[in-house]
Amino acid sequence: MASEQSDCAASSEANDLSSLLEDGKNAKHLKCERCGSTILRKGDAVHVKKEIFLPHMKKKSENQAPDDGETLTDFWLVKDMFTFENVGFSNTVENKKFLICADCEVGPIGCQDLADAINLYVALSRVKHE
Amino acid sequence: MEDDDCLTTLKILIIGESGVGKSSLLLRFTDDTFDPEQAATIGVDFKVKSLTVDGNKAKLAIWDTAGQERFRTLTPSYYRGAQGVILVYDDKREISRDQGLRFARKHSTLFIECSAKTRDGVQCAFEELVEKVCYCRLENRWKKYVLDRGMI
Repeated sequence: MASEQSDCAASSEANDLSSLLEDGKNAKHLKCERCGSTILRKGDAVHVKKEIFLPHMKKKSENQAPDDGETLTDFWLVKDMFTFENVGFSNTVENKKFLICADCEVGPIGCQDLADAINLYVALSRVKHE
Repeated sequence: MEDDDCLTTLKILIIGESGVGKSSLLLRFTDDTFDPEQAATIGVDFKVKSLTVDGNKAKLAIWDTAGQERFRTLTPSYYRGAQGVILVYDDKREISRDQGLRFARKHSTLFIECSAKTRDGVQCAFEELVEKVCYCRLENRWKKYVLDRGMI
């Protein structure tokens, strides 16, 4: 749960992160990168470090494998789906649901592991902070 | 900061025959902006949407049957705990507007006409449903209050 991995190379990243945080929570509203739909209001999520693999948001090529993606480490954690302002849940794939924008359906912006269903994770790098 | 107290959370289902436009309705209620570049879709299970009705904020969890009705597999887990249902039909098909209206009257439900194509009435359909659910809740609470105190 702690956010104390400041040893990595990118100190600018750490600075970026600190501007997004206020008492471990999101200091800004979370919005969809594409359509601007409000996903979470400020102060409603907790920052956590966790390694989660997410498929890419956009197809890079026609023959891209469906499991092509990246492992991300910075997430906003939410414990109740009704904490969200607007969000969509995908159908279940391998005991996981992906989170998408409720309005334009872009995603995945995060996920829910049904083995640990109360925790809903939104990737910092896949939303706008405003 | 603006007031963001959410007064109520409601589970809403969208049901109806296959192909009448349930998913289009939901997509119209949310702001669809089609993106052909989006990765192959896994399909949407449900959405959480915030809505303000008469200055009061509600959050809706909206389920679309997404074709399950074709296989008659609407399981109890799908409708358990639901407070509102939107029964969708297409007045260009077997059921006429009159039949729809009669059905609504018979079952004392709201009757709302909307078009997923033009978006007419779509926002209004969801708002009226929220109003109706909140009103019914209030009425039930009031009835209980009156009955509990032997006021009738």
